[in-house]
Amino acid sequence: MTNKKTRSGGRVAKTSYYATLGPYSLWAMFFILVPLVFVAYYAFTDNNFNFTLEHIQRFFTATSQVIQEDGSSKEVYTYLVIFWRSLKLAVISTLICLVLAYPLAYIMARADAKTQKTFMTIIMIPMWMNFLIRTYAWMTILQDTGILNNFLTFFHLPGVHIIGTEAAVVIGMVYDYLPYMVLPLFSIMAKMDVKLIEAARDLGCNGFGVLRRVIWPLSLPGVINGVTMVLIPSVSTFYISQKLGDGKFFLIGDAIESQYVANNLHFAAAMAFILMVVLLVCMGIMQVLTNRHVEGGK
Amino acid sequence: MKKIIELKNITKSFDGEQPVLDNIDLDIYDNEFLTLLGPSGCGKTTLLRLIGGFETPDSGDIIFLGDRINDVPPYKRNVNTVFQKYALFPHLNVFDNVAFPLREKKVPKEEIEAKVHEMLSLVALKGFEKRSVTRLSGGQQQRVAIARALVAHPQVLLLDEPLGALDLKLRKDMQVELKKIQKQTGITFIFVTHDQEEALSMSDTVVVMSEGKIHQIGTPVDIYNEPVNAFVADFIGESNILDGVMLEDYKVRFSGQTFQCLDKEFMKNEPVDVVVRPEDVDIVPVEKGQLIGVVTSVTFLGVHYEIIVDVNGFKWMIQTTDFVDVDERIGIVLEPDAIHIMKKSEYSNLYGDYSSFSNELDELSELEEEDEDE
Ligand SMILES: Nc1ncnc2c1ncn2[C@@H]1O[C@H](COP(=O)(O)OP(=O)(O)OP(=O)(O)O)[C@@H](O)[C@H]1O
Ligand SMILES: [Mg+2]
Repeated sequence: MTNKKTRSGGRVAKTSYYATLGPYSLWAMFFILVPLVFVAYYAFTDNNFNFTLEHIQRFFTATSQVIQEDGSSKEVYTYLVIFWRSLKLAVISTLICLVLAYPLAYIMARADAKTQKTFMTIIMIPMWMNFLIRTYAWMTILQDTGILNNFLTFFHLPGVHIIGTEAAVVIGMVYDYLPYMVLPLFSIMAKMDVKLIEAARDLGCNGFGVLRRVIWPLSLPGVINGVTMVLIPSVSTFYISQKLGDGKFFLIGDAIESQYVANNLHFAAAMAFILMVVLLVCMGIMQVLTNRHVEGGK
Repeated sequence: MKKIIELKNITKSFDGEQPVLDNIDLDIYDNEFLTLLGPSGCGKTTLLRLIGGFETPDSGDIIFLGDRINDVPPYKRNVNTVFQKYALFPHLNVFDNVAFPLREKKVPKEEIEAKVHEMLSLVALKGFEKRSVTRLSGGQQQRVAIARALVAHPQVLLLDEPLGALDLKLRKDMQVELKKIQKQTGITFIFVTHDQEEALSMSDTVVVMSEGKIHQIGTPVDIYNEPVNAFVADFIGESNILDGVMLEDYKVRFSGQTFQCLDKEFMKNEPVDVVVRPEDVDIVPVEKGQLIGVVTSVTFLGVHYEIIVDVNGFKWMIQTTDFVDVDERIGIVLEPDAIHIMKKSEYSNLYGDYSSFSNELDELSELEEEDEDE
């Protein structure tokens, strides 16, 4: 009897569901799809809005001379190098975020409600600050005469040169994007049934076995979400690299920005388009891999 | 018989509150189907978790085949658990769930295949190997959980109210099934339930608990026929519990009459609790009765009638196949073997007669109606 009731209730809900979907889809079309269409349109047209592959081609073929450390110069593919560097730093940052966030999220998920709230607040506080200000804060910490080095010299330790290195850029990105990794991991781990962990221990798993065979596979959807939410903004990041990298590490985000500022809208759009396609392909591959992994579920 | 687990003076409390388990002593034998029976919150799950290794006792010892295992982690104990809500791994299919403990032990692949198939046929789930566990019915999930817990052949299987979530029919089937599996495998089962009928029908040994203490350990027949105190008598089956005085060996006085009984070795004129099971009361014409009462209610229950009889203000529950009418005066006869004498205990005055019985039923049916409304 109860069954029937919910079933018919479901049908009613479905019609009204589509009804509410209508205006929303219009809204979404306009604000999400239209800008994307424009990016694509600009990417494949020249200044007179005639179709061209010139900008896409330029991305893959443009070269420039770089001076190597030994003084000799070398010809490289300008944008491919920048793109590769962006991808590398983004992947490193994402992995560091994952390694930091995973145990944190696990501990939070098992803690009592009060501790959870405290942790959550601490993690969210930086997000209340504008990210330019956060980046400046890190500049004052990491500079050669900054807080970190003052601290080290105070204890008679050798100073470190961080600002203007890739490490500084990575630190900045990890700091900025860590919350986006913690939150999805936390939400999936909080939902995980503690009894499953007990069952695994009961069936012969030690601590590491439980992590490898139960917690990790069950948290994979959260990992995917977290990785997506960190990887995408860090691949396309700009400004952090300019400030903390001392301008030495030009990233794809910086390249897009500078082309845009220089009014080369079509080439900026072409780069953004390529970046988008690459990211979509990456995400697609990851989805397929995890779907295969969690096949037994759902 | 070989002792497999010994619990010695086990005490356990949480956060310094009063003990959840209070000085528990229990021997568990090889090949035994032992049931922990008691009302909700009496500490059954806690006791099981101590044996499984998920809790450590505050004091006392847990001995497994002669070794003290208080601090041995669960994965090193040769004991497996079927959890109350099954706790199947949702990311694995039926086969992989059952194979889980074998993979952890690095058992060769062919052997895993063979053992898992053997287990699945034992629990009648052949052909379900590839099925996702989230797409199984409650009873099927139950059986996967049992197969998974049994596949590595533990010496002891712990089952925490494994049938609690099943409907009555499935529950009965699974009771038979579990008993069969226990006989076939020869593994010691420690089974938790608060359903006394289930406990009596399945077990070799029943352990009756309440408030963290063990009241009685015995075979189902012993527990039913010879309850040690008023709590056990009341909890296991229906019983009329009366105040009495033991006049001498084989002679007890209650309800203003003296009766023959089978009990002895009490002090002269010792106050006692007298238990009479509803089905042991004989109804006779008024002039032949040892006691005389008035029928106040009659309920037809299929196999028999359950009637409430007022004898000088004490309401008896009697089960009979003869029809009697409300307000009819009847006589009662108690054979010596219908009367069971217990020493007085702290529980003596907690259980009265059946005067509130009909009210109780009304409340229950009201509750059920509310449930249906939800
Ligand atoms: N982790 C815990 N922390 C605090 N108190 C607990 C904990 N586990 C159990 N208790 C308390 O211990 C008592 C016994 O609990 P237990 O789960 O062993 O009862 P049970 O006999 O299994 O009951 P049920 O039949 O309802 O499952 C309860 O009062 C419960 O509140
Ligand atoms: Mg319990």
